[in-house]
Amino acid sequence: MDFELSEEQEQLRDSVRSVLERECPPAVVRAAYEGRLDGEHDRLWRVICELDWPAIAVPESMGGLGMGFAELALIAEEMGRAVVPAPFMSTVAQFVPMVLETSLPEQQKILLGTVLDQGAIGTVAIAEKGSGWDMSRMSTEARRTRDGWVLNGTKSFVFDGADATTILVVARASDDEGIGAFAVPSDAVTSTAVKLLDPSQPLADVELRNVLVPDDAVLVEPGDQKGAAGIRRALEQATAAVAMSMTGTCRVIFDSTLQYAKDREQFGKPIGSFQAIKHRLVNMLIALERASSLAYFAALTIAEDDPRRSIAVSMAKAAAGDCQRLIVQDGLQFHGGIGYMWEQDLHFYLKRAKSGDLLFGSAAAHKANVARALGLAA
Amino acid sequence: MRLTFDDSVERFRAEFVAWLADNRPSEEEIRADPALSSGHLPVWAKRWTRRMFDDGWLVPGWPPERGGRNASPTEQLVYLEEMERARVPRTTNPQGLGIVAPSLLDYGSQEQIENYALPILRGEKSACLGMSEPGAGSDLASLSTRAVLDGDRFVINGQKVWTSGARHSDFCFLFCRTDPEAPKHKGISVILVDMETPGMTVRPLPEIVAPEYPDLNEVFLTDVVVPKQNLVGTLNDGWAMANGSLAHERGMVWVSSSIVLDDDISRLVRDAPSWLGRVSEAERHALAERIADAYIDTAAARCMGYRGFGKLLRGGSAPEQALMKAFASEARRNLAMVAAEVQGPEVLEASPPAVHATTLVPDENTSWIEQYFRTFALTISAGASEIQRNIIAERVLGLPRS
Repeated sequence: MDFELSEEQEQLRDSVRSVLERECPPAVVRAAYEGRLDGEHDRLWRVICELDWPAIAVPESMGGLGMGFAELALIAEEMGRAVVPAPFMSTVAQFVPMVLETSLPEQQKILLGTVLDQGAIGTVAIAEKGSGWDMSRMSTEARRTRDGWVLNGTKSFVFDGADATTILVVARASDDEGIGAFAVPSDAVTSTAVKLLDPSQPLADVELRNVLVPDDAVLVEPGDQKGAAGIRRALEQATAAVAMSMTGTCRVIFDSTLQYAKDREQFGKPIGSFQAIKHRLVNMLIALERASSLAYFAALTIAEDDPRRSIAVSMAKAAAGDCQRLIVQDGLQFHGGIGYMWEQDLHFYLKRAKSGDLLFGSAAAHKANVARALGLAA
Repeated sequence: MRLTFDDSVERFRAEFVAWLADNRPSEEEIRADPALSSGHLPVWAKRWTRRMFDDGWLVPGWPPERGGRNASPTEQLVYLEEMERARVPRTTNPQGLGIVAPSLLDYGSQEQIENYALPILRGEKSACLGMSEPGAGSDLASLSTRAVLDGDRFVINGQKVWTSGARHSDFCFLFCRTDPEAPKHKGISVILVDMETPGMTVRPLPEIVAPEYPDLNEVFLTDVVVPKQNLVGTLNDGWAMANGSLAHERGMVWVSSSIVLDDDISRLVRDAPSWLGRVSEAERHALAERIADAYIDTAAARCMGYRGFGKLLRGGSAPEQALMKAFASEARRNLAMVAAEVQGPEVLEASPPAVHATTLVPDENTSWIEQYFRTFALTISAGASEIQRNIIAERVLGLPRS
């Protein structure tokens, strides 16, 4: 196993980082928080599209850059570092993988074309309030009719759901034959942006009321086992990307906390010289290295299509959750009153890290997955 | 980034696995003549070490005349993985092979290499490491065993403690104070002392479990006289060696920790379903999550190890090894604790006597609770977890000293 980046990967990461430092400084995130983003939102996304990042893991034959999930994951980590208020996670880490994993070549051409050529925003709607991301318990229903499939239900926590052009909806067949995936144009649904603790990463409720999906927009027919596996594989990619982005965010909190512990003096010396602080900073570092190593491992199992990918993704997301719990808590605690202030930028990262744990399955949910995979739970 | 090694590394692995199959001592042989401590060389161990030395499999990274084959760092890593997987002790004298011999090769005179280092590598002699004292544990530099240079000889007086394998060792790699006036880090030297020298008294210290196999000892030195040429390296420059010695020990220790963790977690995951079948559903969920945590720690230890190793290969910083030492040893302790709690009260039944922990062929019969107590040896020795945290805080994170 080799976790070191290749020269190309290092260049990619460095260039993504420097672009985001330039284009998305904390002032831009603050504007998102304070509702002053205006055209910035679109501008950031245009920059991302011009640099072809949405095409990163799309095969060259489909007009993409032909790199793999490892590279996508590296960008996701940088997105987390910069807490970017742009629809990268939805479009690039959710929509594009779902299209590639589930749809036919002619569908791919159309769906990817809108993103790669026109800079459209796409997203995936899986979660529901009653079942989270556990697809075995979802209640949104797909019913077969003569004209196609009809969808009914309400999806929640849909990334950029109010801004997307196309929403890929995962629903369960009414005859319980299994799950399917359906490409739905945004004007066929009611998307409502939700007021959020972290407004830099917009989420929406998506209501589907008798939405008719013609056959050519069905990506996976319920009952198609291979297609269902594709949906799960796409969900794994989205989940791993969130884990990667969380470690990026946590790294920023950690670096800031470490610097503060060196700079802030009390009792005549830096607070970082006290063992009570020192050892807890080391515990934060260990949690971060644990999460980051497992996130890279998960990304590699996806990139190389290793049979361990499913459990690796759950381990990565669980470890990212454990990591944020410690880093958010001690990060804020060690910054003292300063960290408690709206005017400081720290809370952007604290909130993004916290919300990361709760989206795409919490640490507890993914530990339950691990336990299930080990045969320890039903 | 990738999950696999180059073909050439895999060929190296296959060659070693085949050699192991043909040459390793059998488990029966090892059990019939158990190592009594980490200084004891049973007949099979002497033969085994010699065979590895002759065939270049003892320390593959070294040149053939020192028992190696100039293997690359990645090949050394693969070697350690397979050695641990084969469940054969690489040596029954880990501190000799892992610390004393390499330190002598780095700092010793030609004569010391001939008379002390090479005999360790050929399985002829064993060594113990005289570091800790009653008043100098984590604060090793405050050690007070005193060596006075008197013409062409040293006269040594003092006491060592927690000296692994001392009662069976042939000689001691002894840290002593040679300049009491200098600042504490600057007055320490290393001297080789044959354990048979008059004035050396060893008293074994039975341990928290398996007291019939004491590995730790007190070593008392009363007017012990050794020739001046037994000084290793430069007078009063021993502290550099203390750091160097432990660096040898920490270098790739994570590999064996990681494989042992793999072994332990497989055993736990194998046995847990039947134990969990006896408890309520709520309890089962609570315990299953803790096993999942231990499983995640095991995977993380492996990934963190490889990641640190990758950095090391590309010339990155070594202090990150301290992080692995702390994490992996605590993960092992935690895993044993979880396993003991999952097993329930039956875990309290005592295990049949086993050979000593340091040379243990992993024994299915060792109870998890005994294993749990034994793992404290990992979090206390060779720099307690708290010392590792200080090292990481100061050398990796750049925090000021307290």
